[in-house]
Amino acid sequence: MIDRIFTLARRFTKPMPRVGVTPATVVHAENKWRLLHYDRRPQGLAHKTPVVLVPSLINRHYVLDLMPEKSFVEWLVAQGHDVYCIDWGTPTDEDRFVTFEDIADRYIGRAIRAACKRSGAQKAHVLGYCLGGTLALIHAAIRPQHVASLTLLATPVGFHDDGMLSRWTRTRSFDTGALIEAMGNVPWQLMQSTFQMLRPTMTAAKTVSMLDRAWDDEFLDGFLALETWGQDNVSFPGASYRTYIDELYRGDALVNDRFKLGANAVHLSEVRCPTLVVTFENDAIVPWPSAAVVMEKIASRDKHRLHLPGGHVGAVVSKKAAKGLWPAMAKFWADREA
Amino acid sequence: MFGWDAFKQYFNAWETSTAKVVEAWMKSPLVLEPAGAWLTAMMKTKAAADKGAAAAWGLVGLPTKRDQERTLHALNQIQSRLMDLEEQLASLKSESNQ
Repeated sequence: MIDRIFTLARRFTKPMPRVGVTPATVVHAENKWRLLHYDRRPQGLAHKTPVVLVPSLINRHYVLDLMPEKSFVEWLVAQGHDVYCIDWGTPTDEDRFVTFEDIADRYIGRAIRAACKRSGAQKAHVLGYCLGGTLALIHAAIRPQHVASLTLLATPVGFHDDGMLSRWTRTRSFDTGALIEAMGNVPWQLMQSTFQMLRPTMTAAKTVSMLDRAWDDEFLDGFLALETWGQDNVSFPGASYRTYIDELYRGDALVNDRFKLGANAVHLSEVRCPTLVVTFENDAIVPWPSAAVVMEKIASRDKHRLHLPGGHVGAVVSKKAAKGLWPAMAKFWADREA
Repeated sequence: MFGWDAFKQYFNAWETSTAKVVEAWMKSPLVLEPAGAWLTAMMKTKAAADKGAAAAWGLVGLPTKRDQERTLHALNQIQSRLMDLEEQLASLKSESNQ
């Protein structure tokens, strides 16, 4: 045990792994968000239709570009895809007024149009991860013009499940209005503590796991990169949080066909583009039934569901993902060039 | 090595069973309702304190934090609207050129 602790302690004297390092150019910036365009591979593109990645609002975008050789973005670029990613940035106090409509309609719309314009394409493949998927789905329902296909990666759509997050947000004594009034943006620390409630023994389990593989540098680098990302969270713009909790979690408005984005009613039955839904068996954050329900709601004829083992994050960034999930998504796009 | 393997085995068994018990407990309304009530009470207290401080600022004619947030947000909205208009102009131009 002692030698494991010393070995691990020695690892912490080395620099932490570098995260999100695939070269990219900022091609659009608005309020706090930016659109990144990753440098194309030197031998040219193999696919014309650009891919726009929409990460969750409350986590950093670089989970999709974690570290060299463990990066979905790096892998996609190497396959000849033209890859863009939204970096939501860090909201500041005035962003308490940023609405769901601003994000799902204006910002995502601008990102997709900017990617299409830069790539000389009419449409883009859109991938949304977690809450980013919910936003991308809403966008595709009301503004389908530039969406070649939609990929929903561990995306919550039905919110009334038996999971901890669903139960917590539906607690009657929890007043979102009071929270927003007091805090403006919802602090990431509050959301982080809610996620920790999902498995309070997780920190102990992670420590033992690190000690167990104290000599495995590759494992530790990946582990530390993921921990770096896991601790680097973003606060949730207040007005958007209110919509997210009150309408989506409490009202389950997307599934019940009652969700409105400003003046626009959002009907999932308006989604007609090719759609790939990816769910994970052991996803504690988005239980797979709440992601899979979208299959019944959208009108796409070309819709597929990929159900894989693993959890919400691990299954997206693991070595296994590089052999199974990533090629499956890339093939989905390659087969559906706009 | 045996010592570590045995420890890990016991730890995994403990962690799995404990996580299940704690999860069931945390999901219970007996925990969630008081936690929600506590959080709401804290937030209402903070909001009341902030309101008092803002009122004091207002009395001496200074803009409050909320006023500044509204102004900055309005500027961001104007920036976005300008970008909307630029896009519309560009698309009209390209249509008229065709």
